[in-house]
This record gives sequence, C-alpha cells and structure tokens, in this order.
Amino acid sequence: MTWLSNGSPSWQWFHRLGSPRWFYHRSGRWLPWLSLAALLVLLSGLVWGLAYAPEDAKQGNSFRIIYIHVPAAFLAQSGYFIMAIAGAIGLIWKMKISYMVMKSAAPIGAVLTFIALFTGAVWGKPTWGAYWVWDARITSMLILLFLYAGVIALQYAYHSVDAASKASAILALVGTVNIPIINKSVDWWYTLHQPATIKLTSAPSMHMDMFQPLLVMIVGFYLFYAVALILHTRSEILRRERKTSWVRELVNTKAGQ
Amino acid sequence: MYFENFQALMHMDGHGVYVWSAVAVTVVALLWLVIAPLVKQRGLLKEISRDIQREQDRQLAANNIPDSVNSKESA
Repeated sequence: MTWLSNGSPSWQWFHRLGSPRWFYHRSGRWLPWLSLAALLVLLSGLVWGLAYAPEDAKQGNSFRIIYIHVPAAFLAQSGYFIMAIAGAIGLIWKMKISYMVMKSAAPIGAVLTFIALFTGAVWGKPTWGAYWVWDARITSMLILLFLYAGVIALQYAYHSVDAASKASAILALVGTVNIPIINKSVDWWYTLHQPATIKLTSAPSMHMDMFQPLLVMIVGFYLFYAVALILHTRSEILRRERKTSWVRELVNTKAGQ
Repeated sequence: MYFENFQALMHMDGHGVYVWSAVAVTVVALLWLVIAPLVKQRGLLKEISRDIQREQDRQLAANNIPDSVNSKESA
C-alpha cells in the first residue's frame, strides 16, 4: 500500500478516509448535527404527511402509509448498493474500513426491508383486501431481505474476519442483480402493486400537496440512514481495533474525564 | 390540519388502525437501529477499559517480583 501513502496529495483523502481512527474521530463530530437534522426532518415530514396532506380519492387515509413505506423501500435498495460498493472497495483496495461499513450496512438494510414489507402488508389489507400476495415486487423485496440476512450470517460463518468479509462482499455484489428486478418488477409482470410514484424522467404521479411531504420523508430517511450507518460502523471499529494504541488512548482519556 | 380534531386524526375514517400500527412498528424498528449500536459501544468501552486495567495490574505484579521475565505478550 506504499503507493497510496507516497503518491500524489490527491490520494491523501482516500488514504485518510480508509483509516478507522480518522473516521472514528471525524464522525464523532458529525453525529450530533446529523442526528438532529434527521430527527427534525423525519418529524416534520411525518406530521405533514399524516395530519396535513389531503387524503387520497381512491384509497382514503390508508394511503398515508406511503410516507413510511416508500422511503423505507427506497433506502432498503440504496442501502444495498452502499453495502455492495463498500464490499467491492474492500475486495479491490483492501481498505479496512470499507468491510466494516459493509458489515454495518447489512442489519440496517435488513430492518429497512422489513419495514417496507411490513408497512406494505398493512397497507395491502384495506387496499387490496390481502396482507400478502406472491407478486413479483413483493417477492423480490423478500429476496432482498434474504440477501441481507445472508450477508449477516456469513459474517459469523467464518473464524477469520478476512474470509468472512470477502465472502460477504461477493454475496453482496452478486445480489445486486436483484435491485433492477425490484425496480422493473411492476412493469415486467402483472401486479396489484401500483407503479412507481416517483420517476426521474417524468413528473410524479401524485398531487403536489401529497408529494412534497413524501420528498421530505425520503430526505429524512437518507439522513437517518447516515446516522445509523455511522453508529454501527463506529462500534465495529472499536470492536476490531480494540488492541490498538489509539483506542486504548481514547478509553483512557474517557476514563480520566 | 386536514382532520377536524385529534380523534379524527386517530380514527382516519376506519384506516387509523392500519396507518398508526405501521407508524408504530416503523418507529420501534428505527429506534432499535440507533440504540443497538450505542449499547454495544458502551459495553465495548467498558470491556476495553477492564482489559487495560487488568494489564496494568499484571504489569505491576510482574515488576514486584524481581526474577520475573519482564516481557509482556501485549503490544
């Protein structure tokens, strides 16, 4: 790895970002602000969506579940990419911290996928008359949950941390095939599930008064995701670096306070 | 507010059960995602400080015995 440290200054940020110690200290400074922002944005979006947005002409008030269902499903998929990319960086550059990020992203993604599935089931009952149908969208989301579970399980299946990380990273990368399937499932197969509300290429298929709180909730979920990922990564850093001198120093100064 | 009063907000024309149970489960799940790593971190910090203490005690004990080998396994 000498080419990284001796190379041009443009590599310096990359090198520093890969240092668990640097990340731990820097993220500690970001956390309070990020957490505050996430809390405020989520709360205002939720109040706006649940209490102030108009009700849907066809679905009535049950449509309000969209304000947690769509952001959770969104982040479940974005989070999968984050996990897979972290795994790829770990495989290619052997950056210590990227494997820790990958490991941390798995339980967060699994919980978000669970939220998307659960809120979808609760929404399905008054809207479709069934909690669960085996259609392509819901099944591919269930596969996403299993992929996350697989990455979590692989972390504990090996004695060597390195072997576990590599196996997890490969599973994460292979599993990315599932993401475009989730996205296209409502177009490719007949389904009860409504088509995407938000598209990059065209105007949203919902009224602005309903759409704005949804955007706020998506931003809020992104902020929350960042907070959760940083928290999980920090505890993983402490666990793996517990023998290093900088962690010992950190613990000693904390005890002295 | 879109609803006339707090009761209407809770009831949501019969859909309140669905909406609020979805919200409740989501809030609990998200809170768990934040609390779990914090609890883990606290436990780790305690464990590490116990490790340090134990090593210092061992070092002290080793220094008090003159013939002991003064090399420690920890870096």
